[in-house]
Amino acid sequence: MNWLIEWAAYLPQLMSGLGVSLMIAGVSILAGYPLGLVLSVMVGAKNLAVRTLGLAVVEIGRGAPALVILYLFYYGLPKFGIAFESITAACLALSWNAAAYSSEIMRAGLQSVARGQHEASAALGLSWSHTFFRVIMPQGMRSAIPGLMGVAIQMFQGTSLAYAIAVPELMKSAYNIGSQDFNYLQIFTLAGICYAAISMPATWITVYFEKRMARHA
Amino acid sequence: MTLSEIANGKLAPRTGIKLENISKSYGNHVVIDDVSLDVEPGTVTALIGPSGAGKSTFLRCINLLERPDSGTIRVAGHTIEPGKVINAKDLAALRSTVGMVFQSFNLFPHMSALKNISFPQQKVLGRSKEEADERALQLLERVGLKDKANQHPGRCSGGQQQRIAIARALALDPSIMLFDEPTSALDPEVGLEVLAVMRELADDGMTMIVVTHEMQFARDVSDTLVVMADCKIIEQGDPKAIMSDPQEARTRRFLRAVLER
Repeated sequence: MNWLIEWAAYLPQLMSGLGVSLMIAGVSILAGYPLGLVLSVMVGAKNLAVRTLGLAVVEIGRGAPALVILYLFYYGLPKFGIAFESITAACLALSWNAAAYSSEIMRAGLQSVARGQHEASAALGLSWSHTFFRVIMPQGMRSAIPGLMGVAIQMFQGTSLAYAIAVPELMKSAYNIGSQDFNYLQIFTLAGICYAAISMPATWITVYFEKRMARHA
Repeated sequence: MTLSEIANGKLAPRTGIKLENISKSYGNHVVIDDVSLDVEPGTVTALIGPSGAGKSTFLRCINLLERPDSGTIRVAGHTIEPGKVINAKDLAALRSTVGMVFQSFNLFPHMSALKNISFPQQKVLGRSKEEADERALQLLERVGLKDKANQHPGRCSGGQQQRIAIARALALDPSIMLFDEPTSALDPEVGLEVLAVMRELADDGMTMIVVTHEMQFARDVSDTLVVMADCKIIEQGDPKAIMSDPQEARTRRFLRAVLER
């Protein structure tokens, strides 16, 4: 009973943190997915320089832990006179992360489109952009949807890393509340419930989409 | 109105195509070995031969889906040398003159039948949506599928899909149509619907090059029969003459295999 009363008292403070977390996740998805699409095309490009650049961005984004990239943006770049607010640094680092992961999923989706679709488009005389945006992408993205939703969930949970550079997101709010009267157990449990309250329904929706796709494949 | 009149609005000038010394290999593996073919305007050329002979690859070289290593393609006043750099204008001219129908239809699965036919007209020829839709409906009616206009390809049978694919190619007013084994993926009965549409096109005077295993179609409809084997044309001429009295032993062997089946 005590916990419930405490939770009710903490919740308003925690909600502002959750808002920041959702904002960072939203920005990194909105910026990361289009960038991921560009990267997925670059990685498949014939031009070696374009392909190498695309691969480098993707491999660093996937290979380096998000926390390392976060630190590089926040603590590293000021060395070159580029300083970001903590929240901006978090958005940039997670956008890179989202772009790198989503690009691989999109590339797999685009590659799954039958060769005949490219050939029919070429035979009809459709331009590259009409072929890509009107024929290939709508089909490739369909199979990429579940994977991309997975990345979105991952990004939302990844926002907790921004705690490390003092972004006032959900974890940071929880920590601040906990440090006031040392009720860490209660507050972090509540924070966990907040993450789960978003992630779990999102996962269910993803599974639903996966099943639907499997049925219509 | 006949099929090609609908396709062309008014009758487009008939066009032939000349292919000279086309060669193509993948690494050391030769697939087309110095093949030349002269297709007269308004004629039907049937391309037959054992699988692996290079028929489909040769057909795909004609509209540059496969890029020949050397040779010359002369069509509609353009001369294209695929071994060299091809400028965008020549490629566009070639693709707009030549329509193609594939064995596996290759309709766009996320678009309705109508949109499959209408969308390329809007993007390639710059037609308005109304004009393109109207043309698409005319063509669908002509191939007997007006009631399928709003269906997606997945809800159509193979024969219906292939007829939609033919309509899609015709909508861009090609003067030459390439058919790559258009009935090979279909049940024999369903294939007949597609062959009927093709006969009609041939009767209208469309220039056609057809890779096929349908010997009756080749005999009855084509003006020229071309036999390919081992990456070359080994025999060509009047279809009935070749079928009743083949000059080459390889042709004889192939014809015996397909006709005695």
